[in-house]
Amino acid sequence: MADQATDAEAPFGPAGLFGPADLERRLRSGGVGPEDRAGIGEIKDEVLKHLDEHVAAFFEHLASFPEAQALLRRPDLMEEARRLERDHLVAMASGTYDRDYVEQRFRLGRLYNRAQLDVALFMGAFHAQMSSIGRRIMQRYAKDAVGGFARFSAFKKIAFVDLGIVVDAMMTEREGTIRRQQQAILELSTPALQVRERLLILPIIGLLDTFRAKQLTDGLLKAIRAHRAKVVVMDLTGVSTVDSKVANHLIQTVAAARLMGATVIVTGLSSDVAQSLVTLGVDLSRLNTIGDLQGGIEEAERILGPASPRIERRPAVG
Amino acid sequence: MSVPILKQGDVLIASIQSALTDRDLLQLKDELAEKVGRLRSRGVVIDVTALDVMDSFATRTIRSIAAATRLRGAETVVVGIQPEVAIALVELGLTLDGIATALDLEEGLDVLVEVMEARRRDR
Amino acid sequence: MCWSRSWRRAAVIDERRVPIDRDVDIVTARQLGRELAAEAGFTGSDLTLIATAISEVARNIVVYAERGEIRLGRTDRNGREGIEVVAADEGPGIPDIQQAMQDGFSTGRSLGLGLPGARRLMDEFEIVSEVGKGTVVTMRKWRP
Repeated sequence: MADQATDAEAPFGPAGLFGPADLERRLRSGGVGPEDRAGIGEIKDEVLKHLDEHVAAFFEHLASFPEAQALLRRPDLMEEARRLERDHLVAMASGTYDRDYVEQRFRLGRLYNRAQLDVALFMGAFHAQMSSIGRRIMQRYAKDAVGGFARFSAFKKIAFVDLGIVVDAMMTEREGTIRRQQQAILELSTPALQVRERLLILPIIGLLDTFRAKQLTDGLLKAIRAHRAKVVVMDLTGVSTVDSKVANHLIQTVAAARLMGATVIVTGLSSDVAQSLVTLGVDLSRLNTIGDLQGGIEEAERILGPASPRIERRPAVG
Repeated sequence: MSVPILKQGDVLIASIQSALTDRDLLQLKDELAEKVGRLRSRGVVIDVTALDVMDSFATRTIRSIAAATRLRGAETVVVGIQPEVAIALVELGLTLDGIATALDLEEGLDVLVEVMEARRRDR
Repeated sequence: MCWSRSWRRAAVIDERRVPIDRDVDIVTARQLGRELAAEAGFTGSDLTLIATAISEVARNIVVYAERGEIRLGRTDRNGREGIEVVAADEGPGIPDIQQAMQDGFSTGRSLGLGLPGARRLMDEFEIVSEVGKGTVVTMRKWRP
């Protein structure tokens, strides 16, 4: 008996933007039908014949814009961009629109992002390229303008589907960059304060989302090690909402801290937040919660005992 | 690679030096059980600072060491779990419930004294 | 369009194989996996999560199938880098995968946490098993 569980239907692309069904949907939304694929087949050779000219049209358009210089002045990026643009036109004309095709577009989107090419400028260059192709096709079908137009329209449908993919890829990439920047800012904004030996206070202010909660765990555990903390007071007074996912993450953080030998006391959890978490089924009994920061510090002092030199605790060497 | 076990008063300290195979772990368990019985130790400290991975087998073995030594009247403290290892353990759902933990050896010995006193009071 | 095939088989580069037939091989596999993950750009706790997941699936081979191999490689999807771990054996196979993937299920000496645990530590987890023929577990983790 064979049994299997696969993730064949799982999304792919940046941040799981695309799935197998998604490309089909995009082709359908773009109105790409069998007759379009046939039409593209008929102009394939015509497109491939002037490939270099069409690729050049794209970059010529960019040349006049100062904001494109970051790309144009980098020979390594340009070489890759030329190659990808070329491969792309070949793939477009060849009529196979599959996962590899989409992935090729992602690479291009990432590259342009790296070169800080903005979406509007990219679209302008893309249009210049389409015009270059359109001119050649209309020349070829000079005696059958209607036929030429129909074939070029078919090609343009693919081009628009394509544009959607690249733009989405560029936007998603950009969101990733913003997220990474946010991460850097957040790391700086959640300091662990050492109040006395073995005691850390971690005041959390602002929006606590899943991403930041993960940051918090890493930062807290490292701080426990660095400061040899025995007790940590995590103060949530500055946090207005905690969803069940974040709450469960906090519970996990507390469990991880315990494994390292530290006790975490949670303070400042408002009764509204606590109530809503209980309603969501979060087991708050797994958190050591105390009303306010002051109470939390007192409890921490109680656990730590007097700050004076500790009593002889080591058994005599025997 | 076997784990050196040091005797300090009525405490045994097992200081893991490098990655352990399953067999090493089982050997550690047998040796500790034997030594606790023979030396009438009251506490065991297992120092896992050097472990960069604690998977379900290692964790289960440590749990059974704690259970076996408790039967012989000794308390176990696990010290030195690394931050990354702690995260992995929690992700795996292995939280070593009921076993005392501490940051390092020095702290572990403190904790052991507390735990042993608490046990004495309970009796 | 041959979608599912191209989806399932991400290109793997730098593949390394570790034969698994004794407990010491589990340590070798996870150490190599950690190195490879570091080369692929993983950092911090991700390295530990990957090494731990490898440890779990490698032990599954030792305990249930006696011998098999771990294949480790770097992979790339849509320009996103990651690591792929394949644990393959020709052991008795798993009669009921659904059940084996539940926490706490065990047919051997392990806690039964091996497979579901490994799945939690990685981003993707795929298992194909045939009774009497063997089991192949494929796991991937992508760089954040």
